[in-house]
Amino acid sequence: MINRKILWLFMLPGIVLYTGLFVYPALSGLFYSFTNWDGVSPSYDFVGISNYKESFDSIIFRKAFLNNIKFMIVVVVIQTIVSLVLALILAKNSKTSVFFRALYFFPAILSSVSVGLIWSFIYDPSIGLINTGLQHAGLEQLAKSWTGDAKIALYSIAFVQIWAHAGQMMIIFIAGLQAIPGELVEAARIDGATRLQVFRKITWPLLAPSAAIVISYTTIQSFKAFDLIFVMTDGGPNYATEILTTYIYHLAFSNYSFGLASAGSMIFLILLGILTFFQFRALRRDGATG
Amino acid sequence: MKTITAKWAMLLAVVLLVSGVLAACGGSNQAADGKVTISFLHWRGEDTQAFQQIIADFEKQNPNIKVDMQTLTSDQYQTTAQAKLTDGSVGDVFASFPGAQFAALSKAGLFTDLSSESFVKNYNASLIDAGKQDGKQLALPYQLVYNQPIYNKAIFAKYNLTPPKDWDGFLKLCQTLKDNGIIPIAFAGGDIGPGQLMNTMVMNNEPSEDIFTKVEAGQAKLTDEFWVKTLSQFKELNDKGFFQPNSLGTKDAAAGALFIQGKAAMLASGSYQLTQNAKQNPELQQGLLAPITVAADQAKYEGVHTSTFMLAVNSRSKHPEEAKKFLAYLSQPEVAAQYANATGQNVTLNDVKYDSPELKIVQEWADKKTIFQPRFTILKAENQKAVTNSIQAVLGGATPEQAAQDAQAIIDQQVGK
Repeated sequence: MINRKILWLFMLPGIVLYTGLFVYPALSGLFYSFTNWDGVSPSYDFVGISNYKESFDSIIFRKAFLNNIKFMIVVVVIQTIVSLVLALILAKNSKTSVFFRALYFFPAILSSVSVGLIWSFIYDPSIGLINTGLQHAGLEQLAKSWTGDAKIALYSIAFVQIWAHAGQMMIIFIAGLQAIPGELVEAARIDGATRLQVFRKITWPLLAPSAAIVISYTTIQSFKAFDLIFVMTDGGPNYATEILTTYIYHLAFSNYSFGLASAGSMIFLILLGILTFFQFRALRRDGATG
Repeated sequence: MKTITAKWAMLLAVVLLVSGVLAACGGSNQAADGKVTISFLHWRGEDTQAFQQIIADFEKQNPNIKVDMQTLTSDQYQTTAQAKLTDGSVGDVFASFPGAQFAALSKAGLFTDLSSESFVKNYNASLIDAGKQDGKQLALPYQLVYNQPIYNKAIFAKYNLTPPKDWDGFLKLCQTLKDNGIIPIAFAGGDIGPGQLMNTMVMNNEPSEDIFTKVEAGQAKLTDEFWVKTLSQFKELNDKGFFQPNSLGTKDAAAGALFIQGKAAMLASGSYQLTQNAKQNPELQQGLLAPITVAADQAKYEGVHTSTFMLAVNSRSKHPEEAKKFLAYLSQPEVAAQYANATGQNVTLNDVKYDSPELKIVQEWADKKTIFQPRFTILKAENQKAVTNSIQAVLGGATPEQAAQDAQAIIDQQVGK
């Protein structure tokens, strides 16, 4: 019988780290969300729930929330489809497939700040690769202000997000595809099933756990997207790409409204919690969590 | 299994011991020989070399004081300096941004009152107001920047153009440049552009140093004539094609490239860009101008200045006298000249001799009637953003009235908080 005290001793470093780095900051955030602390002054007053009320009343908060939802839907839908299609094309372990897998996975290993800076130059309307390319091809009427036009800026960043992470999700799908027994597909083909039927009746149902992981991960990742937006547009033009994380950052570190920013973070935490809860339920239903 | 655990335990013990020793080393700033170490905290990483030389000279003159310089990036500085300064362990002498950061640090009581220090007299009194609060000189703005467009003198000379004295003249100048295939104004609408150009655009539409203070206090509104007019003039410049196409997607570096390559005649940034431009294109002949948005006889201001990099002594410092001594040293005109010539930054001190042509361009403006950067008088960053975003909104197609109304709605939520 293992001595339980020793087990606790082994767990102690982990508990201390987790408490110091996660539990304590989270509880501090909760505490400060009820204060008017500016992040600098030694003193503050308790303001009850007024920071929460102010967040919900804020025009920018509402814009940021809406942008978050738009960004998440676009990224989740397109990234999942793109990564699935890539996985279906590259599932076989041929040399070409392995090469292209590595190629598509490559953006995932770059830091998102580098990705943001590179794409800022690519998107530049005057000297950027896209608009100059379009001009050389005689298609200047298609040239746009990719991150400067409020109507398309959020989608331009969503494209970069997908470019950077589709390869990563493709790998999860490939792992799922390779776990599907070959004989099932073979038997279906012998029985006369078309490719589409094989996909609908065999591949997709067996791929559901992988899809659930991809969707779940992409949802959280896109909801928390901060670095790309911070680097590429900093929430502009005119709040067109402001999302909750950039809004909270600006409140805390530019506006010195730590209390209000903490309340925003708590709301954000609850929203993420709700999303995660529903996703876990979906995962359970699909049997991905066993 | 036991052996592995013992090894890990040993490793942990060593790590803890080393951390303890390092922590102990970091805790003291008074050496056994009586030498005092003061910390100098700022964000100008690019000035490190210049400061190292200045510090070495200072230490030679003051063998009992050692200056330990620490720099953070400006973003990090905005976010973490406050916490570092609060416990007094670093930043005996520190720098502060004017505006929101100065207000926050001042509210936290982190500044030592320097009003009675003799070295304050070395500064140009009209350029250091940004470091004052309630009549007390809490910080000394060290760097001087003019936040107004830079122009290419050669292009202007080629088309017989001179900096205009009124709005009609400015529009005519832009039209001439455009007709000759030159982009009149390279405008970084995606980042710094609105925040820079708004200053000169608004300075004469409402020639008052506290108009935005009034806006933040709810005593004036962005929907008032001064701001709607400013937005209309931005729209006019945009609609007439005086900015490069799709300017809202252009960032600082790309706008700078258009100017440096001679494709644009003006760059809507500030004097801080002069040295960098000259490095990238040594042939460039540069000057500063400001669009005058009213008739010549109604113009009160000729340009916009910002005095920043505000040096201060931390009120929590354990060595305030040594810190003041270092600040006094930095405030000597010869030392300030050494700093200016090494970094390419103008300073707010009197009697400073500049070497480079770029620094001399800026020096010419010292006698002109300029106003402190209006944007920096907006203390809440959220309000600042609402103001600059209203410029982006009109450039994106909104009417000036609508953009002003939307921005005012955001400011209304902040009034009284």
